[in-house]
Amino acid sequence: MATSTSSESEYVTLESSDGFQFIIHREAAMLSGTIRNMLSSAGQFTESTEGVIHFRDIKAVILEKVCKFWYYKARHMNSVTEIPYFDIEPEYALETLMAADFLDSMSSFTWCEDALLVF
Amino acid sequence: MSRRNRRGNTYVNNVRGPTSALTSFLNERGIRRANPAPAPRAPAPPQPLPPEPEPVEGQPSQEQVEDDQPAPTSSSFSTSQPTRTARLTRGRSVTSSTAAASSSNSTTRTQVEDDEDDDDDDDNGEEEEEEEKTLVPISVSVGTTHTRVTVTSSSSSTASSTKAAATAGDKAGPSKKRRKKACSDDSNDEDFNDITGYVSRSKFSHKGRMPQGSNKIEFCSRCRARFTVKAGSTPAVDEDDVGLLCPTCAGATAAPSAALKPKPAKRARRQQQQKAEIECQVPTLQDLCIQKIANCIEDVEAFGDISDISMDKICKIISRNRSLNTETVQLFLDSRHTDLSLYDCTDIAAPGLQNIAQFCPKLRSLRLKLCGRIDDSVMKYYAEHLTQLNSLSLIGPILITDAAYIKLFEAVGKRFERFELKHSARFSLKALEVLCEKCPNLTHLRLGDLDLMTDDWLELIANLTKLKSLRIRNPERERITTASVVKLIQAVGSGLEELELKGCVELEDSVLFDGIRPSCVRLECLDVAGCEEFTTEGVKTLFEDWTTNRSLTYINLGDCILLKDEALVAVTAHSGTTLQNLNIRGLDELTKEGLLTMVRCENLRTLDASWCRAMDDEVMGQLVAAAPKLNKVMVWGDHRLTECCPSRKGMKIVGREGDYIDLRYL
Repeated sequence: MATSTSSESEYVTLESSDGFQFIIHREAAMLSGTIRNMLSSAGQFTESTEGVIHFRDIKAVILEKVCKFWYYKARHMNSVTEIPYFDIEPEYALETLMAADFLDSMSSFTWCEDALLVF
Repeated sequence: MSRRNRRGNTYVNNVRGPTSALTSFLNERGIRRANPAPAPRAPAPPQPLPPEPEPVEGQPSQEQVEDDQPAPTSSSFSTSQPTRTARLTRGRSVTSSTAAASSSNSTTRTQVEDDEDDDDDDDNGEEEEEEEKTLVPISVSVGTTHTRVTVTSSSSSTASSTKAAATAGDKAGPSKKRRKKACSDDSNDEDFNDITGYVSRSKFSHKGRMPQGSNKIEFCSRCRARFTVKAGSTPAVDEDDVGLLCPTCAGATAAPSAALKPKPAKRARRQQQQKAEIECQVPTLQDLCIQKIANCIEDVEAFGDISDISMDKICKIISRNRSLNTETVQLFLDSRHTDLSLYDCTDIAAPGLQNIAQFCPKLRSLRLKLCGRIDDSVMKYYAEHLTQLNSLSLIGPILITDAAYIKLFEAVGKRFERFELKHSARFSLKALEVLCEKCPNLTHLRLGDLDLMTDDWLELIANLTKLKSLRIRNPERERITTASVVKLIQAVGSGLEELELKGCVELEDSVLFDGIRPSCVRLECLDVAGCEEFTTEGVKTLFEDWTTNRSLTYINLGDCILLKDEALVAVTAHSGTTLQNLNIRGLDELTKEGLLTMVRCENLRTLDASWCRAMDDEVMGQLVAAAPKLNKVMVWGDHRLTECCPSRKGMKIVGREGDYIDLRYL
């Protein structure tokens, strides 16, 4: 809990909609485009100064899954050998998909919508 | 990263003295080695300069080679007279010299290797030979692009080594040469990327891109070149003064150690490459989820609790990932549904599309985008089974023929309220006749990019008196005339709330003042984007004292390139207070005064002012102050807007110069 003070801290805190806090490595969280933008954008956002990010739309189960995925990715990103399969429980797949879509690229979000409108 | 770096860098840094305008310009811009081949020659023109006694400490190993003297120490040649050779090869010799100087100055062995790729440098090869006749050493040094200088401290006889150097062009150990060549190819590319940030097309990958979000532009304290500090990396710092160093200069200071141990660097590079390859193998979470959903279609019984909005969102995501296919589409089919939109039906085969009618018999509204595989039998099935359908939108139905349309229109009949059709080359007058005859209750009609559309169509559409929304987009050239459009608008205009004539390039002003002005009393949305013939006068006449129409909420004048200030003044005077969405994209004639009239639009929410070059911080500031609901402004190509342009929390300014765009998502 002591990690939520400085922006240079090694950890960041992610808070789910139902109040669970996940304290994870900054590097792992930075794998998400959205979080990276939040934490490293030039402007002084509360997220980047305090290192705490609230997700109002993501439940704890989902956020846990997503955090696990980041660690999975961080761990296997540089591995040369075959990587294990990352399993997602089917019952959470949909919500995880929506969360993942949000987290991977918030900046892109409007673009996608625009792109779809172009069709 | 490699020796090439060091070479270019020493050239820039250790040679002081007058430089040509071009050279200093290039240095200032940091374009030293952007294109490896011509770069060394670029400095050649400045030769009329006075022969500068080169202030470089350790002198060219080049000259060792030239004189073919065995066992030279690097210091013994430091003050050699500026010979012609020296001057000619200045760029080259200096570079190799400092590489030598940078290594321990005891016994140095210099080896000039010619790594030239034959296929690359055929033209260079010729010049090279020519020069070889007169000045032997130049041939080695001017070996240009891929010439490498390796410096190793060794105890072997220097005589033999210099000889080897002199003939390096042809004799340098073939195996070594090949090995070098192999890695030089990619190292070249890497260096190239390093400096310019340019990524060759073949190597470009969206995944491999660094996020540009926090990249910073800095200036090197030593060579004053501009360079980019990549996100997450820390640039080298000059020990003497505290300034930052560009990668090139930083590479120079780190040179000696790197020269002594070239191998680990190589290995690291190789590892990096492998890393990049591996990285691609870690799938994204989205892909995993979508795969899971697609795989578990039997296990996932239905979306159940998920709201329609979420479902639509998932459908959009899946469409965007192009994973919507005959299997996945099942997820979106549910007998409860009354509305269904599928955004990418490319991969859904005809039976899959037929399932839609089977599983969702209560459908009222159906939108199928990119539905190239839908065919007559499916349409027939829809006509028979979708008994409540009143709205149909088809985009890209290339297979459906007139007969199938006619059957559908006959079946749907008076229920039909909305019909949208885009990108179809087969929909013809015959089908439209049936549509206008059988479906008199049509309120929304959208026809776009239809190859067969002509004036005759407009006459038929004029019979649909209940139309509220009419969109005619991108007709073929010279098929739609101004007169017929005027007639159509006069016929149906009184009911229209929305009128779109996007991309009807040939329409003239009379559409505005003969058609729209007298008839369209209820109009709220007007889209005449791309009607290039509309003049300022025409728009002015339409909007000035247009009392019969209360006012509009949506106006799109994009790419009506002739429009000047007066047009915008008239628009804002008429509809200013109600306008929520304004598009003046590409109206380059507008001046600042004209743009400032937009402050009347106090309810404005979105504004597209791209390519309105007069747009600047002041206009933006006044807009932000005047329109509290403004939340999205597109400003592509408005170069007068700076990073400091006024904004507000929650307001998006898209396309501002100086902002970064994450290119992965464009």
